[in-house]
Amino acid sequence: MYSVIVVPPSSGTGSDQIRLGAGEHVGFGRTPARNGMVIAHEGVPRVAGEITAHHTFWLLSNLSEDQTYVVENPEGAGEHVKIAPGRVDAPVPFEFSRVTLPAAGDLLTFDVWAPRHAFRSVERHGLGGSATVPAFSLDRTKRYFAVLTALCERRLRGDTSAPLPTVEEVVELLRPGWPKVTRSAVYWNIDYLAVKLRLRPGPDAAEPGRRVHGKKESLVSLALRFDLVREDDLVVLTPLPSGAVR
Amino acid sequence: MSPAPYAVVVPKGYRIGAWEVREPLASGAFATVYRAVRSTAHGGGLPRRAALKFLPTGTRTPRQLRHLRDLAEREVRLLRRLRSPRLIRMYDTLTVDDPEHPELDGATVLVLEQAEESLDAVLDRSPAPEHAPALLAQICEGLHQLRHAGWVHGDLKPANVLLMADGSVRLADFNTAAELEGTHAYTTAFATPDYTPPELLWPETDERGTRTRPSADVWAFGVLAHVALTGALPLPGGSPQARADAVMRYARGHEELRLSPALPDGWREIVRDCLAPAGADRPTTEVLLRRVEAAAGVPGPPRLSRLRPRGPRHRRPVLRAVLSAAVLGTTVLAAKVHAHVTAEDGTPVYAALPKAQAFPTGPNGKVLYGYHHCPRDSVCFFSEHNGNGNMCVWRGDDSDWQSGRATCDWTADAPVRSVFNNLDDDRPDRAVAYFRGTGFRPADADRRRTAQRTGCTPVNSMGNLAGTYAPRSHKLIDSCSSFTAVVDYLTPW
Repeated sequence: MYSVIVVPPSSGTGSDQIRLGAGEHVGFGRTPARNGMVIAHEGVPRVAGEITAHHTFWLLSNLSEDQTYVVENPEGAGEHVKIAPGRVDAPVPFEFSRVTLPAAGDLLTFDVWAPRHAFRSVERHGLGGSATVPAFSLDRTKRYFAVLTALCERRLRGDTSAPLPTVEEVVELLRPGWPKVTRSAVYWNIDYLAVKLRLRPGPDAAEPGRRVHGKKESLVSLALRFDLVREDDLVVLTPLPSGAVR
Repeated sequence: MSPAPYAVVVPKGYRIGAWEVREPLASGAFATVYRAVRSTAHGGGLPRRAALKFLPTGTRTPRQLRHLRDLAEREVRLLRRLRSPRLIRMYDTLTVDDPEHPELDGATVLVLEQAEESLDAVLDRSPAPEHAPALLAQICEGLHQLRHAGWVHGDLKPANVLLMADGSVRLADFNTAAELEGTHAYTTAFATPDYTPPELLWPETDERGTRTRPSADVWAFGVLAHVALTGALPLPGGSPQARADAVMRYARGHEELRLSPALPDGWREIVRDCLAPAGADRPTTEVLLRRVEAAAGVPGPPRLSRLRPRGPRHRRPVLRAVLSAAVLGTTVLAAKVHAHVTAEDGTPVYAALPKAQAFPTGPNGKVLYGYHHCPRDSVCFFSEHNGNGNMCVWRGDDSDWQSGRATCDWTADAPVRSVFNNLDDDRPDRAVAYFRGTGFRPADADRRRTAQRTGCTPVNSMGNLAGTYAPRSHKLIDSCSSFTAVVDYLTPW
């Protein structure tokens, strides 16, 4: 059970992602300690900081002398946290974070995901006992949820044998509610959903061409089986009122 | 709009089938259980009281409808197929058909045996109760019965362990139960973090969800045993999340398992083995049951014969003295010399105990029950009320209690005061008729009774007897209300 996934700058394949279990930590910098994440830029301190996974969230230590780091929520409306130099173990509350390090005029970024962020009903604090809780919890305001809804759209509308939409079709479904959506954003969210829902890599994972399709199929089956999306969730695919940000 | 206090809100006095709903007993993540009384005079085999479990499977249910239906079906499927003394009994299933109450319309209702309280409530009131070992033995027995039938419970915890009025244990709440497909089963998407083994805390999934194995229940039993025996969870931390992290550190070998020093001798190894990081290293329920029964000092069943073809049953009466007083802390035990008068044909008749002594209470003022000492698939008679005192156990007929291969010595000059028919449901002859004469013959005044016997106890019943007599023989018959079993002794008319 890992709490946090650190995605190094320009990570394409996923194989260089660093997975941290609760209590584990990883350093980053130009020449960090053993097993750390290397950020090869002259403007980055040799040991620039440290990330520690804690429960379902993570802590950031800024070990630089004079640079403030900014952690922003790329899906939030400018939501961010500033970590002053020397600050140790600052908690970061976002499920998705983009860490920005200023380095000699450049802004370097890497991402940190916290897929164990849990969401559950606050209702029904019934009659005591330790609660039985759902194993899958999705944030209905996140883009991954809109992507999952778009993937399930035809089947939610009652066509149980409908073929899965292509990524292009998903983009078209999402555009009214998410004008800047791109193919790569959809791919990214599909990959993230597979992590979030802990999808076992399928037997076809090795064949590059079928990989996304197998993943889409598994996500849709799982989501429909466990009612992770429902017909009334299709509202996330409708156009936003003007001025609202999603 | 304020959120609903329970998963399903049913108005008091609401009627469904033969039942009138009373107050809620418990509410979980997706179902609510209400106390109910039968509103019809003739129950047609239904008890006076029951617990109604409402699952919101109607069309107005806002979320997770399909999944809720799956959960309801799991429980119904299991309870329809499995009848066992340690599993809660289901009498009936109903569906609410009530367009006037759209939020209830379509709900699935399970009519269940009503329990006294949950283990959770017991532990809340008195952490680490004295009789925890005896309860754990019964819980383990239930787990083994489930496993034996090919199911994984999936959510074993104190709230899902119920205690009956007689003190015996029933496992309940089978919404999360999964039937094994070979070595594994698929879980529902629900779990209780503090009772979840490391392999299921952040498990891989496929289209059908998460795979689980019976060893997950064994882990949960280890946690439950630690809680029941020491009052604390085995892994440290101030929140379920922190404890889940501690479980992972332990499972990865980063941290030692530090069990409470309060764990009694004999239990430390059991709990440690149940909490083995790898499922394959945990004991099977069969091995576990033997060890738990040894540690609890309770008699174990020779083997689980349920669901297997039955071989010839040996008449093997077992005589055991049950020291309920020591186990339960009884303060009043009416083991006195019994004044008795002798009937004209020489059959002894004893004076009944005054009513005040009929319900011995413990230090907390609660009535003490000892029926749980009665092994499964047996008939037990006790020398005191409520299953206390000495116990004699049989698995078949006995034509003479005072001679033959086994005897029930204390009944030679003392009455029986309570009985528990704990026979398996699937026996053809599962009621016990008892007689004050040897060879299943009536004696004294019983000779003038139509049934030609002293008493008869149906399956799964227990209770206090008149306390004025001791049987000399007993016979297993198909039903107490049927005369066919005693037709030999009826005068033909």
